[in-house]
Amino acid sequence: MSQQVAHWLDNLLKEIEGIEVRRKSSRRVRVDVPADALPALLELLQGRAGYIHLSAISCVDWIDDGEFELVYHVWSYESHSLVSAHIRIAREPGVYLSVYDLYQPAAFFERDIHEMYGIHFEGSPNMEKFILTEWDGPPPMRKEFDSEAYINEHLSWQEYNPEWLQELVAEGGGVIIPPEEQRFSQKKK
Amino acid sequence: MRPENYEAQRQPPSNEYELNFGPNHPGIEGNYALKVKLHGDIVLEAKADGGYLHRGFEKLMEQRLWIQNIALVPRICVPDPSPMELCYSMAVEELCGLKVPQRAQWLRVMQLELSRIAAHLFTFGGHAATTGMYSTMYWGVADRDLLLDLFEEFTGGRVYSIYNIPGGVRRELPEGFLQRLTETLDYIESRLPDYDNLFFKNQVFVKRAKGTGVMSREQALEWGVTGPNLRATGLAFDVRRDDPYLVYDQLAFDIPVEESGDAWARTLVRRKELMESIRILRQVVEILPDIHGPIRAPIPNPLAWNVPAGETYTRVESSKGELCYYVVSNGGPKPYRVHVRGPSSMHAVQVLEKMSVGSRIEDIAQTMFSLDACPPEVDR
Repeated sequence: MSQQVAHWLDNLLKEIEGIEVRRKSSRRVRVDVPADALPALLELLQGRAGYIHLSAISCVDWIDDGEFELVYHVWSYESHSLVSAHIRIAREPGVYLSVYDLYQPAAFFERDIHEMYGIHFEGSPNMEKFILTEWDGPPPMRKEFDSEAYINEHLSWQEYNPEWLQELVAEGGGVIIPPEEQRFSQKKK
Repeated sequence: MRPENYEAQRQPPSNEYELNFGPNHPGIEGNYALKVKLHGDIVLEAKADGGYLHRGFEKLMEQRLWIQNIALVPRICVPDPSPMELCYSMAVEELCGLKVPQRAQWLRVMQLELSRIAAHLFTFGGHAATTGMYSTMYWGVADRDLLLDLFEEFTGGRVYSIYNIPGGVRRELPEGFLQRLTETLDYIESRLPDYDNLFFKNQVFVKRAKGTGVMSREQALEWGVTGPNLRATGLAFDVRRDDPYLVYDQLAFDIPVEESGDAWARTLVRRKELMESIRILRQVVEILPDIHGPIRAPIPNPLAWNVPAGETYTRVESSKGELCYYVVSNGGPKPYRVHVRGPSSMHAVQVLEKMSVGSRIEDIAQTMFSLDACPPEVDR
């Protein structure tokens, strides 16, 4: 991104109230905005700065703050730079606006976030389940969902000791690691 | 999708019917399904149905150490796993401020381009099979195997090489490897005229692919299409050139484009990209012996590695399009959040749904393969 374009973008972004712009590198700009100002910001970026490609919407669950962070990554094919717009919304009730009117790829990401985090996007064209069609538990990517605890509660462990392994062990080969020692990441807890 | 969860319903007489295209179907790439509504042969409505390959990678990554995830990420996209490793490693390097040594960067480029050729050969094979040309499929898979031999030699793994680690690469090249690489490249190049005669110039394929699954450049931009599919609509955009990483800015390569935006154009772009990848690899072979030095930057004890708090968004051009990782660290021994944006999350869902409407049922498979959709990337 040339100096001139960078300067022009800074001036453009000043039009939004409560915005904080940080230039991370020559092609990456981080923008923090209040949640209500995001649609206006994206409209400005898309309409006047050429950021027409929505690369992704990422969601981060900050459970200790009681907030979700939504990050909208938009790319400009003209200035070859990526703006990541960060907003925070309350974890409860977890509702936000869809940006599908501006960026069609948003439909997939919003549907995905709805499925994995339970955030509802008002105005998104399709909030049906896609990946976890037969899942009726809580949204699994939320931090309070402990997948290992869920497995221990709902599924049973099976002993796996087939004959071929027994033979191998009898011959003095094969190494069996006891389950409690299998994963050092677990042991550290 | 389990049969016991669905009850057959008596419908009023109609010429319209519904068909589950997949998840177990020769015309579907990977385990994936399309629910299509048809009138005769014509598709009236298509709904993508994913989740068959969902393995919960993003959740798993939050439960593993930073270094352990290196073994996890390549499994997200089976045909083209190398960009996954790289994209994740780049994110960790950026968070830690690690500087990757020059030699490691060149080795990474070599791995990526080999992976790209292997992925394209695989796609050609699958695509040819959808038009009934199984010989191309056998050839593609057999020639890809030669590349897998190379992978096995320099990384230790045939498919999931797990060659990158944050800070560099794991191994130095075996002796005489570059010579064997050159021989394989020569062989692949010598095979291309045969591929052209058998597949790319074959009238069975040309007539089927031309005019199938057309999208304009405006539609492609609106739908978030990237990679070869976007370049097939005439826009020369490539992350390697326009948002460069590694040493791609020091390499000479062209970005092939086509204008017509149909299945034919998309395949042709990939065919030309194959040549560009070979060209890049030849440059690597020439330059690599002159670059000496370490192959990885020193990293802390990987089993007790707390990556500094921060967030980053890394992008790589995979064989399917723009691959991105959004990685957040809270300063702990494990990632706080990893979001994988696979290029196929656009191509296999919204784009495929929209492009299938109005096409004939026998063209669905061809449309999907021409988009090079990779379902495991969607499901993660």
